[in-house]
Amino acid sequence: MRPVVRRLLRPSQLQNAPPTFLLPSLLNTSQQSSPFSSTSSNPYPRDMNRERGVSTQRRTGLRQPVSISKTPLPKPVLDPKKRSKVEVDPDHGLWQFFHSKEKPMNTPEEDHAHGRAWTVEELRQKSWEDLHSLWWVCCKERNRISTESYERQRLDAGYGDAEARGRDAQVRVTMRGIKQTLTERYYSWQDAQQIAKTDTEVDLSGEGPAYTPMDYVEEGDVLEEETQLGTEVPLSSEAKPEAKAV
Amino acid sequence: MATQTAVRRGPKFGRKQVFLPNFTLTLLRTPNLPPTFASFIVPLNLNKLDLRDYLWHAYGIPVRGVRSYIQMQKVRQDKPNAKRPSPRKWFRPRSIKKMMVEMEKPFVWPEAPESFAEWDKETFDAAQEDRTKMESTFRPDWHTKPSAERGTIAEQAKALLKGEATWEPSLKGWEDVGEPVEVETNVRV
Repeated sequence: MRPVVRRLLRPSQLQNAPPTFLLPSLLNTSQQSSPFSSTSSNPYPRDMNRERGVSTQRRTGLRQPVSISKTPLPKPVLDPKKRSKVEVDPDHGLWQFFHSKEKPMNTPEEDHAHGRAWTVEELRQKSWEDLHSLWWVCCKERNRISTESYERQRLDAGYGDAEARGRDAQVRVTMRGIKQTLTERYYSWQDAQQIAKTDTEVDLSGEGPAYTPMDYVEEGDVLEEETQLGTEVPLSSEAKPEAKAV
Repeated sequence: MATQTAVRRGPKFGRKQVFLPNFTLTLLRTPNLPPTFASFIVPLNLNKLDLRDYLWHAYGIPVRGVRSYIQMQKVRQDKPNAKRPSPRKWFRPRSIKKMMVEMEKPFVWPEAPESFAEWDKETFDAAQEDRTKMESTFRPDWHTKPSAERGTIAEQAKALLKGEATWEPSLKGWEDVGEPVEVETNVRV
């Protein structure tokens, strides 16, 4: 028995022993292994370039086989009619790019059946969230119209372009109205800021309540205020109040 | 064994809020791509991150990856939207940016309709042909091209030469307009 193996089998040295799966190599160290052939096993001789002669364009294949070399490659089904039917989720987000799921674009009659745009009067009553939601509704409708117009052009389907453009125009008028409403509100807010600087009832410092209305207005007080103010800040929407001379 | 709950995070987005975006996305039909891929025409200044953000927030489409490419357009000689060609006024139309998106779930376009009767294709095509013919008469090289009657004239000439037809004046006989009347009476020169 080899000294190495004897040492291993002693119970005192079992903790420091090499793992048991190495035992066969320790037992068979007397055998000499030699290669089958005496030729050098360098697979890429002369210039060590493993990519030499390998081309995807010319479909040469690899120079050395790999583990998947024996598995056959899947072949694509070229005929669209022979392909397996794809299950499309009815709630897929891309359905929102179409008006109907049956056909890729609207008929001219369907495109023409739209109402009028939102007027600015109606939009002024809407909140920030409502206006922004409406903007996105308009955006998605425009995407729908654009997708269908492109498809109609590609298929050379016939009429429908004029109706689609009319529909798109109405949507854009609504979007213009939304921007106008928001702009008007912004200007009002700017004007209010200007007035608030000189208004005794308003405190914009941040300490204490912002608006403390006076309990009652005396005739004399109002007149004094107006003369003190001097040049009034001009408002964009309201008429300039007359400054009374005392 | 500990439960391995796969915490599936949504795609990463920035924190910048975008209000009132004003552009259009056009979805394209791509029959040669796998059904999990979709292609869009996007504005030239939109980027892949923007598109991923837009598709998630506006349409609820989770996107795995986006690839983009820009198609440069051929140089043209007309003004934009010109019917008459204006030669020597060269310009290159704006490039088109397209983005291809890989999605989690597949999507297949609705089938194209078999007949385009609802879009009145026959009338449309006939009107288009008429318009092209009319427009060609305004082209500067109109007179260099043979007219439409040349063919029929050639046929008539062949028939005449062969002897199959004989020439007759189109106006047969004289029209009787009555006795000759002197119109310029009492004319002072």
